[in-house]
Amino acid sequence: MIRVESLTKVFRRPRAFSGPLGPLRTLVTRRYDERTAVDGVSFEIPEGEIVGYLGPNGAGKSTTVKMLTGILTPTDGLIEVGGRVPWRDREANARAVGVVFGQRSQLWWDLPLIDSLRLVGDLYDVPAARFTGSLRRMCDLLGLDDFLHTPVRQLSLGQRMRGDLAAAMLYDPPILYLDEPTVGLDVMAKQAVREFIAETNRIGRTTVVLTTHDLADVEALCRRIILIDKGRVLFDGGIDDLVTAYAPPRRLVVELADDETRAFEIAAGSSIPELIARVSAEHTIRDLSIHEPDLESVIKRIYAESER
Amino acid sequence: MAEVLRTLRLYGRLQRAAARGALQYRLNLLIGVVTGVVYQGSGFAFVWVVMHTFPSMGGWSLREVAFLYGLRLTAHALYVLPFSSLIGLEWLVREGELDRVLLRPLNPLVQIMAKRLGVGQVGDLLAGVVLLVIAVPPLNPGMILFCLAAVVGGALVEAAVSLALASLSLRALNTLALRAFADDLFSKFGSYPMGVFGGAARWALTFVLPVAFVAYVPASVLLDRTGELIVPAPVACGSPLLGVALFALAYRVWRRQLRHYQSTGS
Ligand SMILES: Nc1ncnc2c1ncn2[C@@H]1O[C@H](COP(=O)(O)OP(=O)(O)OP(=O)(O)O)[C@@H](O)[C@H]1O
Ligand SMILES: [Mg+2]
Repeated sequence: MIRVESLTKVFRRPRAFSGPLGPLRTLVTRRYDERTAVDGVSFEIPEGEIVGYLGPNGAGKSTTVKMLTGILTPTDGLIEVGGRVPWRDREANARAVGVVFGQRSQLWWDLPLIDSLRLVGDLYDVPAARFTGSLRRMCDLLGLDDFLHTPVRQLSLGQRMRGDLAAAMLYDPPILYLDEPTVGLDVMAKQAVREFIAETNRIGRTTVVLTTHDLADVEALCRRIILIDKGRVLFDGGIDDLVTAYAPPRRLVVELADDETRAFEIAAGSSIPELIARVSAEHTIRDLSIHEPDLESVIKRIYAESER
Repeated sequence: MAEVLRTLRLYGRLQRAAARGALQYRLNLLIGVVTGVVYQGSGFAFVWVVMHTFPSMGGWSLREVAFLYGLRLTAHALYVLPFSSLIGLEWLVREGELDRVLLRPLNPLVQIMAKRLGVGQVGDLLAGVVLLVIAVPPLNPGMILFCLAAVVGGALVEAAVSLALASLSLRALNTLALRAFADDLFSKFGSYPMGVFGGAARWALTFVLPVAFVAYVPASVLLDRTGELIVPAPVACGSPLLGVALFALAYRVWRRQLRHYQSTGS
């Protein structure tokens, strides 16, 4: 469904000259500051998969999504989405994808939510009967009824995000790009968003690319993740494989009599009772627990390694 | 054809949505209306000034200058009315509005145009038309058609320059000052008989920045004054077509620059 090969994006920021003729001078002198945001990324995503596209701030996630939507033209490499090259065939591509940028709403700020949804229906040529059906389904899935007639600028972040999700799925695109759809949401709203994504994927076999900094989103939704940093892929595969390959050792955490907490790494294959015995020989243990590595600690470790 | 109708229909819907959005800010709207009225007033004041105090210029009679001025003003208003949101292109880029536009299956320029209607220009348009009607020389039906084509052609010349320069903003260049500068040249020098300017300036205002083609050249045709032009008479008669050609060219530049669009970092 989505195929990306050696995808590269170099941003060229012009050096500005002052004065009204400055832009022309910049064009002539061709002085630019370059920054490589995406640097030879390759992956393939089959239909119906939900993939977590993860990476630290500035890794190049949003830039990749913008190239997948056709907003940005790649500097180098290949993209194909449903057999189309997004930047060359932008409008046809737009009909096949739904996009939510969590940081920035796609809705008409000054109009009631329902007006935005109607305009989206118009823009994507959704026939009236199908629009009514879609709208009904979105309202049920996302609980939009309470604020359908409220101007978007008066909506809470969680309500706005639900509105954005509805706008992105109203025309039933087979592909959905979500760039931080849970940013800033409370637990309940996050839950609603996750359920919507899971439901959309289950019913419509929608292919989803999900960017997020909340690993709970990933654990709830994705079986596969692509991890990038500095524009390069660090890992691409199943979450389980990631944890086995990169998991730091389990840790024995003990609380000592003098209120001190200490952690001991449990080396692979070593005996836990022996470790406990050794520790209790030296200290008085008040409480103990064994910490399994979680996704977060795994990913932290990979980021830390890529920093070196 | 179906695609053109779809584009027009969507343009109408988006324009109406923009107007409904603007209605939310009643104070702003009120200020807009008041400004419009003042604009209109100043437009009419200008008519009065032109008709009563201007001496003849470059061998043109007062009436002829008024006609030229009216032609330029009408063409200018006709350009700004649909293209007024292009003026804020830098802002649209910075706010990520252009990202939004590019996500939709509709021509990006049409979507940008549909963000706003330059209602403040209605005053200029009225003033221009009134000047034209007052000062128009006797014309045969063919000449009337040419006059209408000239107004549209002139609007397209200004639109073409503005669009071509605005395209550079897609590369994260700030062209606001440059466009204001070009606009200034159009309004300062577009409304007078070019004979009053020196040779070099006149040449530049014809061939470097096509200011002369907005109104001066077609007005010379309508006033039977093609003899004094520095372009051959047949070229002058084709000046409305020049607007179409320039705009087509500018649109190609725009499409090309769209490929270089840089977006914004969150
Ligand atoms: N329009 C732009 N012009 C210039 N540089 C940009 C632009 N957009 C992004 N960048 C740069 O490219 C790099 C990647 O940015 P990007 O927004 O893709 O990161 P990200 O992975 O989405 O980060 P975050 O998690 O913070 O959203 C960053 O160094 C950023 O500064
Ligand atoms: Mg981002």
